[in-house]
Amino acid sequence: MKTLSLKNLRKTYFDPYAGSQVTAVQDVSLDVEQGEFVSVVGPSGCGKTTILNMIAGFIPYTGGEILIDGNLVKGPGPDRGVVFQSFALFPWKTVLENVGFGPKMRGVPKDERDRTAREYLALAGLSHAADRYPNELSGGMQQRVGVVRALANNPAVLLMDEPFASVDAQTRMTLQEELTRIWQERKPTVIFITHDVAEAVFLANRVVVLSKGRVLDQIKVDLPRPRVWDQLIEDETFKRLSAQVLQMVRAA
Amino acid sequence: MLVAPGQKVRSRVAWRGMNSLVGAALFVTPLLMLVGIWAIVVPLFNVNPRIFPSVGSVAEAAVAAIGDGSLIRHIGASMLRVGLGTLLGVLVAVPLGIAMGVSPAVSAFLTPLFRFFSVLAGIAWIPIATLWFGYGFGAIIFVIFNAVFFVVAYNTLLGVSTIPMTIRNAAASLGAGRWALLTEVLLPGALPNIVTGVRTGLGFAWRGLIAAEMIATNVGLGYMLFVARDFYRTEVIVLGMIVIGVLWLFIDRLLLVPLERATIERWGLVRRT
Ligand SMILES: Nc1ncnc2c1ncn2[C@@H]1O[C@H](COP(=O)(O)OP(=O)(O)OP(=O)(O)O)[C@@H](O)[C@H]1O
Ligand SMILES: [Mg+2]
Repeated sequence: MKTLSLKNLRKTYFDPYAGSQVTAVQDVSLDVEQGEFVSVVGPSGCGKTTILNMIAGFIPYTGGEILIDGNLVKGPGPDRGVVFQSFALFPWKTVLENVGFGPKMRGVPKDERDRTAREYLALAGLSHAADRYPNELSGGMQQRVGVVRALANNPAVLLMDEPFASVDAQTRMTLQEELTRIWQERKPTVIFITHDVAEAVFLANRVVVLSKGRVLDQIKVDLPRPRVWDQLIEDETFKRLSAQVLQMVRAA
Repeated sequence: MLVAPGQKVRSRVAWRGMNSLVGAALFVTPLLMLVGIWAIVVPLFNVNPRIFPSVGSVAEAAVAAIGDGSLIRHIGASMLRVGLGTLLGVLVAVPLGIAMGVSPAVSAFLTPLFRFFSVLAGIAWIPIATLWFGYGFGAIIFVIFNAVFFVVAYNTLLGVSTIPMTIRNAAASLGAGRWALLTEVLLPGALPNIVTGVRTGLGFAWRGLIAAEMIATNVGLGYMLFVARDFYRTEVIVLGMIVIGVLWLFIDRLLLVPLERATIERWGLVRRT
């Protein structure tokens, strides 16, 4: 069953300096099955963020369609959870309140949403930080909160735009392993945008390569799970797939 | 493990307590020194009490004013006006500031206006206020309202427009509607700025109040100063000035500064600015 469907998606911006339209997304069509983990890679400026923001409903699209479970996207909504590169946690809410925010918006009573939030915090290994404020956490911990805050709302699709780009390399690997573990446990549908080819292959069932606002190519990733860096870093299939994706991105 | 964090917090609180005691002492010392110099200089140069009173005569004036209840009556009247005017100002300014801050175009358009009126806030409005409202309660409340309103509205607008777009987007993608966006994001996000605005605005309002009371009423600290002048009662004038300054220090230090610190420090918003 298709959870997310992009049909001939198109986006142009008006450039006030040139006085003309710039095309950020030419023509993108993509179907994503329920429970699929899709990584999107491509050179800088190829339209990755624009596509994600359109799916999230943050910006309108110029042409084509975006369907979530068959419904046309018209604005932001709780059926699409977003994880931001800058975390975007609410600084005035505790970690627990941040994670419980989605359920709160759905009208879930306090006891119940606290229970849900604690459950998700445990999933991310953050039970001890429930009552802290975001500014008291490290970047890695903040992004863990960002991920489970989106998950706790049970979205049809989880949208992630370079979520691990602003944490250090060590933490990033841990976060990637945790994300694959969480994905295996909950099987959310994920669109994951990244610059990092190895990251894309490590996480995904499928890697989509974009170029100049179009889908250049796609590759299935059939690596076994659970995936851990210690094993995959030496794995021949992983190396081959990564090299293949890297070539496409560089040719893009 | 369970005890250690608690202890740490407690010792931090104790440290804070010590710190604020030391801070208070450091704060009061120069003021006390000023009183000391005053106590020495006035008798030394045999200053005419019509020019400047001695410490003793001001103390006597204080005892008398407290004894006959007039000081409390003046303070009460002034505080009531400042409280009411501020409350009205904040109640109107915050919703308006938020409504304006939501749209970048509107906030960019209105910012110069609000800056302009923030500078004028308070005293400069007294003449026109007395024309509009006559001499009395209305004119004074208007001056205070005015001092608070523009500064708070401007700061609220500023606070709302500095909330990162991603945080608003995050709320929307978690299912927040308009009302939830207002109460859960815009209001708390702008709160540190609102508190700063109230603090600044109250400073203007306090000065405006004293000035307005000198011409527009028959009770209040400003009036107390003004009447004393007619009778060359310098000790009452100086007493009034001391009360005005000390009251403000209490309002600012014990109410506004801790409030400002609580919102800004707790949320780590200092880093953002
Ligand atoms: N608000 C905007 N106004 C005008 N042009 C824009 C705007 N946002 C993006 N663009 C243009 O659209 C194109 C695609 O931008 P986008 O941010 O989607 O790229 P990206 O693939 O996410 O790049 P990166 O990897 O650097 O994040 C770029 O050429 C960019 O300059
Ligand atoms: Mg981008």
